[in-house]
Amino acid sequence: MPINYYIFLAITLFCIGIVGVLTRRNAIIIFMCIELMLNAVNILLVAFSKMHYLAAATANPATNVGSEAQLFVFFIMVVAAAEVTVGLAIIVMMYRNIHSVDINFLNRLKH
Amino acid sequence: MNVIILSAILGVIMMYTGVMSKNKSTARYVATAGILALIGANWLEFAGVNFFNIDTRGMLEFTSFGLVFNLIILVCTLVYFLLSGKDLEEVGANAADYFALIFFILTGIAIVSAFKTMLMLFIGIEIISIPLYILAGSDKKNLRSNEAALKYFLMGSFSTGLMLMGIALLYGATGTFYTDGMYLGLGNITVMKMAGLVLLMISLGFKVSAVPFHFWTPDVYDGSPTVFTSFMATIVKAAFFIAFLLLFENAFGRMHSEWQFAMALITAATLIIGNITAVFQQSVKRMLAYSSIAQAGFMLLAIFALNNIGKQGLILYTAAYSLPTIGIFAVLMRMKDYTYEGFNGFAKHQPLLAALLAVFLFSLAGIPLTGGFFAKYYMLVAAMKNGAMFWLVIIGVCCAAISVYYYFRIIQAMYFREGADPGIQVSEGFKTVLVLTAVLVIILGVHPDWLLHLLDN
Amino acid sequence: MNITEILFWFLTALAILSALMVVFSRNPVHSVLWLILVFFAISGHYIMLNAQFLAIVNLIVYAGAIMVLFLFVIMLMNMNSDSEPQKNKWLKMAGTVAGGSLLLILVAALKNSEVQYQKVEGAQGTIGLIHNLGKTLFTDYVVPFEISSVLFLSAMVGAVVIGKKD
Repeated sequence: MPINYYIFLAITLFCIGIVGVLTRRNAIIIFMCIELMLNAVNILLVAFSKMHYLAAATANPATNVGSEAQLFVFFIMVVAAAEVTVGLAIIVMMYRNIHSVDINFLNRLKH
Repeated sequence: MNVIILSAILGVIMMYTGVMSKNKSTARYVATAGILALIGANWLEFAGVNFFNIDTRGMLEFTSFGLVFNLIILVCTLVYFLLSGKDLEEVGANAADYFALIFFILTGIAIVSAFKTMLMLFIGIEIISIPLYILAGSDKKNLRSNEAALKYFLMGSFSTGLMLMGIALLYGATGTFYTDGMYLGLGNITVMKMAGLVLLMISLGFKVSAVPFHFWTPDVYDGSPTVFTSFMATIVKAAFFIAFLLLFENAFGRMHSEWQFAMALITAATLIIGNITAVFQQSVKRMLAYSSIAQAGFMLLAIFALNNIGKQGLILYTAAYSLPTIGIFAVLMRMKDYTYEGFNGFAKHQPLLAALLAVFLFSLAGIPLTGGFFAKYYMLVAAMKNGAMFWLVIIGVCCAAISVYYYFRIIQAMYFREGADPGIQVSEGFKTVLVLTAVLVIILGVHPDWLLHLLDN
Repeated sequence: MNITEILFWFLTALAILSALMVVFSRNPVHSVLWLILVFFAISGHYIMLNAQFLAIVNLIVYAGAIMVLFLFVIMLMNMNSDSEPQKNKWLKMAGTVAGGSLLLILVAALKNSEVQYQKVEGAQGTIGLIHNLGKTLFTDYVVPFEISSVLFLSAMVGAVVIGKKD
């Protein structure tokens, strides 16, 4: 597979995530779209890792070039898990107070 | 390494303090002792004594620049604990946990002042951000605090997503995460590296609230409990700046001229918008939020110039901006009325506090004999030395002049207006610490060299 | 077209369509289910790239833990398409146009990037297997690994602080 296919796939998913962040008002959905963006990054990193591996393996078949990107993906997942706990805690806290997860709700309260 | 490990351990100790001790103030004393220990450990590392010998495989590098920066951050945190520790206990019932989160943030700050790979940058920024979301929302019943936490959280994770995309593209182009190993020289600039750079610039722009990525800042700073706004707007903001500077110096330093113009535009916009909007604010807390954007514009000059004077200036700016702002917030927290009118006649009822506030405001406005003057001076000289864009220096000078207006409004209200007694109670200890802070600010303004000499070690 | 290509296109189409459904379905529960489908498609891609460890971790952590948490919260709040707040038409249009333009710009810019002739061979190499990754993680990457424990601790403390009753 040419690397470009993977780049386009990742960018498409990333931009769909951005569209979701821009067009939705439900805080949980916005957060899910951010997770989608992170996953787009993950797949791009794995594809790049294999690409660099292939380039290095022609010279040295025993190389482990590319494992650093896969470990980076692992760390992204770690951080995402931590972020989800905090994010959902904040959203639930807000829901307990105003019974809504609409990000514009508070703006409406002010006016 | 000393600070990273010790402050993580201190965070755990604080968690236990909350469980073990029923007395509310114990946590504050333990935290203050802990921060003193951290300052000692940082100083020892500066003198070459390492408690821990860990092979980080080149992922962290402890330079004198990073260590001096850490020292300033720790001293500011000490001042913050001494001045605002009591107010921190008033927010909710989890004072010990808040202190624990602050120690975890300090771990993150120590990491971002020493990172050499994108992985450490990413983890460090997340360790700083995640506790901050909590602190912003710690006033659980207050809707504005909830809104601040939610906004901060969504903007923070969105900008993290952009940053990761930038890192991924740079990895694809260069095959490494090490900032030094990327060899992003002038000759071999390509679209992929450029796209990565732009995404990183945008995401860090979000973090330091540079215009046009600043729109979340006023709401978040205004909505959060004031005691945490004080921490966010000073110490954490400086930490993001150090990450910004180190990244752009190490990874993109050799292609400086490619991105310099974009950075100049961001800097100019931040200076102009931050200062002009600050003029129109009625609440002092909100004014300080906008003034933090305006001061960020000056700090961005260091990244724009990317030379040695700029780095010295950033160190000086961290001290000369954080200390006064923490002091002003500490007094503001005790006021009932956050508008300018609340300060009417303040000098008559609290002459000492009013004089100290005036010193702090002078420093923020950049009046000579205070630290803020030299900080701004170094930044403007750095931009001038760089020589590429002189108009930016002119904008900087004009904006410094505008900023005098809104800082002096408080002084005018304090000294030249009549008003009722605000009725604030301050202890002798609070006054002593505030006086010492003001003395520190003035020493920085008379003789900044002693701080900068540390950098030559 | 051989089997690898067919699978690649199938998984890509599945991922993109489900991602679109995440954004455009009105019912939040449906959004979560579509997002789980995206994660399965991405895991399929990982397996095709011989990144087996990440494929499994992706399923366990994302589809298994994170998404269940989301689903749990959504059901707790009893959200459905009637209570779903909607932005007005113009804001939606503007958001879509902005995202689309970004996509266009990035695709146009990266179409002729320096790596465009490089290839990815899924079947080749064993760097994605747990043997290699585990060894690297606990030798070269042990410092970030330990430091990420601070991240977890702070998230844990934070969630408790926010969640518990005063």
